[in-house]
Amino acid sequence: MDDKNISAAQKVTVYIDNIAYQVSKENNLLAGVLSQKLNLPYFCWHPSMGSVGACRQCAVTQYQDENDTRGRLVMACMTSVSDGMRISLQDKDSAKFREQVIGAMMTNHPHDCPVCAEGGECHLQDMTVMTGHSVRDYQGTKRTFNNQYLGELVGHEMNRCITCYRCTRFYNDYAGGKDFGVYGSKNQVYFGRQKDGTLASEFSGNLVEVCPTGVFTNKVFSAHYTRKWDLQSAPSVCAHCSVGCNTSIGERYGSVRRVMNRYNYDLNGYFLCDRGRYGIGFVNSAQRIKKAQGINQTSPEKLTRLDVSRALAHFRDKRFIGIGSARASLEANFYLKQIVGEDNFSAGYNRQQMAVAKEYQQLLSDNFIDDKMLSLREIEQCDFILLVGEDLTKTSPRIALALRQACRNSGIEKAASMGVASWQDSAVRTISGKRNSPFFAMQPMATKLDELTEQCLLLAPDDIEQVMLALTTVLCLTDNEKSNYFHQEEWQAFTFEQQSFINKVISALATAKKPLIVTGDSLLSAKILLATNKLMACLKNQATPSKVNLVVLPSASNSIGLLSLIDEKSISSEQVLAKVSTKTVAGLICLEQELTVYTNEQLTLLREHAEVIIVLDHSESRVSQLADIVLPAAAISEGNGHFVNYQGRIQRFSQVHAAALPILDSWKWLSYIEKALDFSISNQATLQRKKAKPKENLAELHDYFSENFTLWPTLKDEQLEQKFVARMTKRASGRTSQSANFSVHEAKVVEDKDQHYRFSMEGNKPNAVKNMPFTWAPGWNSNQSINHHQVEIQGQLSHYSDDVYVSFNFTRESDKNVAVNDDTLAAVITDLTAKKTLTYFPQGCLFQGEWQSALTAEFQLLAHSLEKNPTLYLSTEFVESQGWEPGQWLNVSADNKSCFAQLKCNNELPQYLVYGNINDFVDHKSGLSIKLTEVSEADVIQYQKNRQTHYQHLKVIQQNTLKQLKISDQHIPIRFVAGGLDDA
Amino acid sequence: MIEIIRPLTQLVNLQSPLSLNDYISEGGYQGASKALHDYSPKQVLDLVGDSGLKGRGGAGFPTGMKWSCVPMFEADDDNAPAFKYLVANADEMEPGTFKDRYLLEGAPHQLVEAMIIAAYTIAANRGYIFLRGEYHLAGKRLQQAINEAYQQNWLGKNIQGTNFSFDLYVHTSAGRYICGEETALINALEGRRANPRAKPPFPQISGLFGQPTVVNNVETLCNLPHIVKQGADWFKALSPNSDSGTKIYAACGRVKSPGLWELPMGTTIREILYQHAGGMAGGFKLRGLLPGGASTDFLLPEHLDTPMDFDSIAKVGSRLGTGGLIVLDDKNCPVAMVLNLMRFFAQESCGFCTPCRDGTPWAVEVLTRIEQGTGRKEDLDTLYNLCDFMWLGKTHCALAPGAVEPLKSALRYFSDEFEQHIDNGCCSYQQDNIVNKSLTLQSSQGGAVHG
Ligand SMILES: Cc1cc2nc3c(=O)[nH]c(=O)nc-3n(C[C@H](O)[C@H](O)[C@H](O)COP(=O)(O)O)c2cc1C
Ligand code: SF4
Ligand code: SF4
Ligand code: SF4
Ligand code: FES
Repeated sequence: MDDKNISAAQKVTVYIDNIAYQVSKENNLLAGVLSQKLNLPYFCWHPSMGSVGACRQCAVTQYQDENDTRGRLVMACMTSVSDGMRISLQDKDSAKFREQVIGAMMTNHPHDCPVCAEGGECHLQDMTVMTGHSVRDYQGTKRTFNNQYLGELVGHEMNRCITCYRCTRFYNDYAGGKDFGVYGSKNQVYFGRQKDGTLASEFSGNLVEVCPTGVFTNKVFSAHYTRKWDLQSAPSVCAHCSVGCNTSIGERYGSVRRVMNRYNYDLNGYFLCDRGRYGIGFVNSAQRIKKAQGINQTSPEKLTRLDVSRALAHFRDKRFIGIGSARASLEANFYLKQIVGEDNFSAGYNRQQMAVAKEYQQLLSDNFIDDKMLSLREIEQCDFILLVGEDLTKTSPRIALALRQACRNSGIEKAASMGVASWQDSAVRTISGKRNSPFFAMQPMATKLDELTEQCLLLAPDDIEQVMLALTTVLCLTDNEKSNYFHQEEWQAFTFEQQSFINKVISALATAKKPLIVTGDSLLSAKILLATNKLMACLKNQATPSKVNLVVLPSASNSIGLLSLIDEKSISSEQVLAKVSTKTVAGLICLEQELTVYTNEQLTLLREHAEVIIVLDHSESRVSQLADIVLPAAAISEGNGHFVNYQGRIQRFSQVHAAALPILDSWKWLSYIEKALDFSISNQATLQRKKAKPKENLAELHDYFSENFTLWPTLKDEQLEQKFVARMTKRASGRTSQSANFSVHEAKVVEDKDQHYRFSMEGNKPNAVKNMPFTWAPGWNSNQSINHHQVEIQGQLSHYSDDVYVSFNFTRESDKNVAVNDDTLAAVITDLTAKKTLTYFPQGCLFQGEWQSALTAEFQLLAHSLEKNPTLYLSTEFVESQGWEPGQWLNVSADNKSCFAQLKCNNELPQYLVYGNINDFVDHKSGLSIKLTEVSEADVIQYQKNRQTHYQHLKVIQQNTLKQLKISDQHIPIRFVAGGLDDA
Repeated sequence: MIEIIRPLTQLVNLQSPLSLNDYISEGGYQGASKALHDYSPKQVLDLVGDSGLKGRGGAGFPTGMKWSCVPMFEADDDNAPAFKYLVANADEMEPGTFKDRYLLEGAPHQLVEAMIIAAYTIAANRGYIFLRGEYHLAGKRLQQAINEAYQQNWLGKNIQGTNFSFDLYVHTSAGRYICGEETALINALEGRRANPRAKPPFPQISGLFGQPTVVNNVETLCNLPHIVKQGADWFKALSPNSDSGTKIYAACGRVKSPGLWELPMGTTIREILYQHAGGMAGGFKLRGLLPGGASTDFLLPEHLDTPMDFDSIAKVGSRLGTGGLIVLDDKNCPVAMVLNLMRFFAQESCGFCTPCRDGTPWAVEVLTRIEQGTGRKEDLDTLYNLCDFMWLGKTHCALAPGAVEPLKSALRYFSDEFEQHIDNGCCSYQQDNIVNKSLTLQSSQGGAVHG
């Protein structure tokens, strides 16, 4: 039975002001009332965080029966729903009390709505209006607090606090943060840090949405502020990891202002990670490519298609290699592969990565032909976790947060056995005590999730593989065989910790109801994926009581989209180099690809041998700097397309604003390239599409794909009941006069050729589509208006329709063609297992881990923050053997680079394993042999000085970026001047 | 005069409390011994239930009933929790209340013995005495008693050769009134913020660290050795009316001899005030009184013949509370007294729920203006509204309704005083009382209300 049916079965009749409603019994009365789209104010309750009964705002009167006229005040959020219950929202007593609650909160809330960043989308404003509180009775003075510096992302204005405890319940209880809390008592309760400093949680930005007032604000948004109602928004998908959280991006005057959570029942729910919320800054960075390069423009004003054709004509009928990318849309990658032909398509992966990709595909086709991989919401329901080789808080942060919730299931179950519902948040936490669902993890570096584990092993990838294999072996053995095996050398080779890890995993698995294994490719280890596959195969044959679920997480927003295009003919980066060197091809088309796989020498070689390098990208990279032709591609907020998330779920991102020409979607550029180059000669399969012509919009592109290529997944385009949905709010101000400093004529609205959204305030309500551009409902101006657009609180959106998934059926003609040279792979691995050299694994970095978001000015500041030193963790044993002291500085050198780091000890580490947070080595995910040498104090002082200088430099960049944005507000770069590629 | 039986206080020695040996030679630990050796836990539970003992912490909840909610397990039951806890609530911060201190300082072994009995009954293996931070002497004496008890195997493993083991610790509070509320107390014990918890689950089911926990007041517990030793009927007979046992009553304010006295439950206010406290001090007339600590409604001279037991006091519109009388005389301003109390409650609000957190300071603000002579007529409406706003069922715990009780009853009984303050624009009580000295909202500490 699916969830919807369950909740339908659980519905009972509740009389609200004498009208009968069908209300779910699963949730509390407040959720039940809100599910009927009735207005009942609240503060401390949160759909995802449950009830604590602090604010007392949600009071209603409950009656015993029809004859009871007095009733009794109850807090709706603390009351369970029962059949036949009678309540009133309109009776005088509860209405008066709700008004009094607001009145009491207002005794200390400043009257600063006009200068408050929350104004216009403030839950407190909405609730105040809802209760009818309008006149101030309180005569006294107001309390004042000092505000704190909480880092570059979150602003703090404590005087606005109404003490609803939501922030600490999110930051500490829900997200496990440690550097935030509640201080003081009576009406002087303070929410913040012990002292000023950057919030350490990867989820700090959610405070902005969780706080019902303007205490926590989006600092980046505030710096370049506009009211919510003046934003132009569109539904988007986060471009910064594979989870595919749904976002709503807001823009004004041509610059992106902010990202807000866009509720998605299956994935992100109500929360995003900070990378997703703030990583959008790259769109506004100085590194953006805004003009075409290497093309002669006939008119100085505009680039025409003819210009492009002319520039490319020279290469007509030549072969090109296309290098796709995991951050480009599915459309663009697919198109590129069709244009260059499968023999010349590369994912930009080297041999090792190709081996990983192959194993990844195998894992997917062996496990997910019939089943879908669990959604984030389903992950939260699991009650056993084995996490293999991933630092999720840094690679797929939102999944890490989901695992945190999964850990609570054992406590929730205990509470349920005592008749306490899961939404009774404080009661459940009381009952749970320190109880956690069984959670086991193995990875080379300490992570923030380790604290939740029953046992956590710090191991190099190959040792992780060994433990996985042994786990598989032991699982498959009968009890008799087991005791035999335990005497064998193979088993004895494991440490005591590893042995007990294996045994504990097996016994916990035996009782789990919804067990989950999570792994990924971030260590670039094909062996771990293979071992996982073996384990899954073994588990399938086992009579385990419950089906074991597998979740595999890749690194980028469209990694799986790209993976779905890799086949036996796809070439590795080494083969690209070979083909270019032997002049088998004329050149390269790099699709949103910065080619980090190549060393500088390799890149120079590539440059020397390629006749032409064409780069399509939105930001400058080491490749764009070498290119002959650079075509400015749309960034996430400027384009349309689809990303495929870790599950294979294909999700649409929509254009928020029309970027200044000639910035175009990559797939649009590809359609020009296709026409100009006419690859038909070079590729048999493309013969029939000789009359390729540029595609104007996604629908045309999809039709073209569907007609010509069987592999293209059919994406149902949503049918709109009537007209269009407005990207702007009804009360958006100033659109008609925004260019008045140029011309008194109203600027022409840019027509969106693609879809259902309008660059205007005219059109349907935001909720008329599945993917809402923003959320709003009458009387609900804050993001909490989402209540009105869900079938049921915390349920599906009213206009939900099923997503389409890519097929994981990767059957191959043969495996031998896959570009893996097993010798090279083995070489890489023996290097690690030699265990003679110290092998360094980078701790992930939220702000540096993904190329696009890392361009964000604030992220650069955070990644190079002076608040903490670069640190290197070594085993205590090793440190002692060297006669070093924790806290001491060392020089770390590898890969032609060297830098300084401060030494710390970790008792759990094997001798050869090292991890740390050194910026320069963040990309070496599969391990890096390092050398350590001692350094003088003077060197350290100099090093710290350099860091400071660099930090100051980054600060200046941040300020200049902001300055530039404010200047360009005055010269709105909106395409109201006709002409250019777009209008051809 | 008939000899009054004073089981709770007969062995109290404030100067130097009895050592373990002396306590035993005076008949101490006989109750514990009897319980451990002669009774099953269920039998003790029934005995306590039959005795009619009600909680002395303020709410008067029957102790036997409270204990009967604790889940009991067979020794080999896998579902049995690793720990069950017993907590003695010795936080005693209710203004006008000092009875527990007397018992703690004067007869620490009585509490230790009592806790052994209670722990045995509910099969708790660990106990805490949650002690008001300022009770330094009590802390020292309790620790001394506990050490002695460990030495002679009245605490620790296999107490007195039985299967029962019990460890007992003293925990000194960091000093908040709200820590006396049992679930806030548990949070504080766990090292969390002292906010009361949502109920259910009740602590008996899921309390300290999520385990079954019983919290009892010190005085409640101290009755146990005597009930076990002498039986339920004997205990019932101690009191002339429906509530059983004795009660430690106290009186403070302008009475001749403030103090405390163990008397049969249901002794009248008049007897306590005039026989034991010696009546009003010279030159002062009785204006009203709070019968059981600061968070109870005012009573008037006309209520003097009311017996001080739970039901009788409730009938005349107040609560027995802790049984500590706070007396208001004719030379002190009732408005100032209520203001002083309200400042205490506003100061001690834990800050969790809106009505209390923002309502008590608001009441302070209004009362301050009235007392200063700058009140307005509408202020009285605001006060009535605030009383309503913070009343039972509207707040998360009982602190705010407790804070409302003196204010609400003062508005009823002394409304003319409030009106005069407003009409005359001043307080007519000329004496310099502490309120007039420090009329700031930010008074650093709430305190008791003597004089
Ligand atoms: C604000 C507040 C303060 C309290 N302070 C105390 C206290 O100091 N000592 C105490 O024994 N009970 C106090 N109580 C009552 C306790 O919550 C609890 O009811 C009592 O400890 C139970 O013990 P009993 O059943 O033995 O009376 C307080 C209650 C409230 C609401
Ligand atoms: S800071 Fe915001 S979320 Fe936190 S308690 Fe105050 S109002 Fe609530
Ligand atoms: S980076 Fe990943 S987890 Fe974070 S918001 Fe984006 S998709 Fe979600
Ligand atoms: S009434 Fe509310 S604010 Fe006051 S002490 Fe109790 S829980 Fe805290
Ligand atoms: S929302 Fe119900 S008490 Fe806060």
